Amino acid sequence: MPDLDKLPEAVIEGDWKVAAAVTQAAIAAGVTPLAIVTKYLVPAMDEVGRRFECEEYFVPEMLLSARAMKASMEIVRPLLVATGAEPVGRVVIGTVKGDLHDIGKNLVASMLEGGGFEVIDLGADVAPQRFIEAAATRHANLVALSALLTVTMPSMKTTIDAFETAGLREKVRIMVGGAPVTQQYAEAIGADGFGESATAAVALARKLVAA
Amino acid sequence: MNPSPAEGLPPCAWRCSRAISRLLSQTNVSSRERLRTALDHREPDRIPLDFGSTAVTGIHVSCVAALRHYYGLAPEPVKVHEPYQMLGLVEDDLRAAMGLDVTGVFSRKTMFGFPADNWKEWDFRGLDVLVPSDFRIRTEPNGDILIYPEGDETAAPSGRMPMGSAFFDTIIRQPEIDDEKLDPADNLEDFGPVAEEDLAHLERAARAAGGSGYGVAATFGGTAFGDIALVPAPFLKDPKGIRDVTEWYMSTRTRRPYIHSIFERQCEIGIQNLARIHARIGDKVDCVFLCGTDFGTQTSAFCSVGTFRELWFPYYKRVNDWVHANTAWKCFKHSCGSVERFFDSFIEAGFDIINPVQCSAAGMEPAALKRKYGSRLVFWGGGADTQKTLPFGTPREVREEVLRRCEILAPGGGFVFNSIHNLQAGTPVENIVAMLDAVHQFNGVAHA
Repeated sequence: MPDLDKLPEAVIEGDWKVAAAVTQAAIAAGVTPLAIVTKYLVPAMDEVGRRFECEEYFVPEMLLSARAMKASMEIVRPLLVATGAEPVGRVVIGTVKGDLHDIGKNLVASMLEGGGFEVIDLGADVAPQRFIEAAATRHANLVALSALLTVTMPSMKTTIDAFETAGLREKVRIMVGGAPVTQQYAEAIGADGFGESATAAVALARKLVAA
Repeated sequence: MNPSPAEGLPPCAWRCSRAISRLLSQTNVSSRERLRTALDHREPDRIPLDFGSTAVTGIHVSCVAALRHYYGLAPEPVKVHEPYQMLGLVEDDLRAAMGLDVTGVFSRKTMFGFPADNWKEWDFRGLDVLVPSDFRIRTEPNGDILIYPEGDETAAPSGRMPMGSAFFDTIIRQPEIDDEKLDPADNLEDFGPVAEEDLAHLERAARAAGGSGYGVAATFGGTAFGDIALVPAPFLKDPKGIRDVTEWYMSTRTRRPYIHSIFERQCEIGIQNLARIHARIGDKVDCVFLCGTDFGTQTSAFCSVGTFRELWFPYYKRVNDWVHANTAWKCFKHSCGSVERFFDSFIEAGFDIINPVQCSAAGMEPAALKRKYGSRLVFWGGGADTQKTLPFGTPREVREEVLRRCEILAPGGGFVFNSIHNLQAGTPVENIVAMLDAVHQFNGVAHA
């Protein structure tokens, strides 16, 4: 049996090679994929989030931890799907139409995945219809919209309105974030919540799916 | 993209701005004196204003067009002198109409590696503008616009402007990274001895700017050290080394010796270039925009103060020390976001000026910044918020914010009025004019 304590350590320290190797060994030793996620990856990413919140970690460290967590998840994810295990929630995430900025969105996606959510990442410059199609076909209960530019913030409203028009607004909770976005703006465009940071976004997502 | 019609403005606003323009022309203090006084932390006759002197204090081309229309200037297409951010050139007639005090000396080449000259017409999604002749693009079926480095259509495009945006963003061209073969020289292709044609351009531009009566901010390039906008090198046809933004950020943690090697050599080249430039232009410019590396995010920072001091500080100090020992230039540092924690280090490294003073970020409350750093650091910016108030607020809200900021930041000098970063596309011209009128009104009340 591999030393499984090395998995959260590798995620927290941002060592993706060790994270992948320990995960492989754990699976080979019969550890369930669900246990790898819930007992090791989720607490590790919670610790990364805590360090970010208290400014012990910054963007580079977050990116390294996210990469390590993903290296483990890439091994675990297909096995998890095969067992039929239900995630905490299913999130469709993307940067809205017209906006190519994705670092903040990627960090939120990683933290959500590390928080036990299934994340369907549509990338950047995502048209409203793509959010709608992904949410419908993947049975998402959360949609997360990101924007960095003031000129693309209105695309958030356009996307929310498109969910209304498609008759899907009541089926999903929509959260928004990005540097120029505020709680006030989120309320004005009819979003269900605003996440000021990647860790705040995870807390918000957990609250929204529990509501 | 079409300029807002001046006819839509209240007649009083129209008349007020013109009256101010006339008033501003009647002064005994030159703009250059005003800027220099402010940079020396003495209170000038009025707050100097800058819009358009650098690529971080500029105006989107659509807003320049709207302002030209508002002020009733010749309806000629605006030059896009920096296509990456689609910044419009502020010509002398607009500078005078807006009551500005600073002009710019820019590098010969744009962010996409071609010279900003030989202008040609371009229909920018309904707005007639002028772009450099080497501005070569391809429009995708979905309306996205791709742009080519050095105007070379045989190279892979290095920038994309999606439909719905008004700016280019860099296309990441990251070759596969083999850590065994990583060579700092690959990340140094951007930094070489300044060419004679660049020196000649800077000499001409500095002579013209220096004789204009305006204060002069110059941009030479090469001394930012890891500016994330420059790392992907949209100006190179075939960038090598670490060019992916995420990979670069991670490398500041995992490949620190490699980054130090780049910075070390970049520092040597940068100082040699500054010496050659200074030999040609002397002190015709008042300040130099040396560094645009962002250390702040909206709510936090990109690194700890400890990391900053280990990885960046020594190089900034060497550059700034050289500038202070050999020129009369002031050293201008740009960093967005929540960066108050770095201010003591910026000052110790020799930076004289901080921009854009993002008061909307965490820990950037203007009164506290002025109290703690106002006698040691010039605030070039912070005058009006470009994330909320200017694009989405009312003219009254803009005016109130501007007057508050002026009251806080102006006393004792050390303040150059500018919004928090460039005026963004989509900003109503009424709000821009409300901002300018508020500064002029403040200046009239306090200093007339």
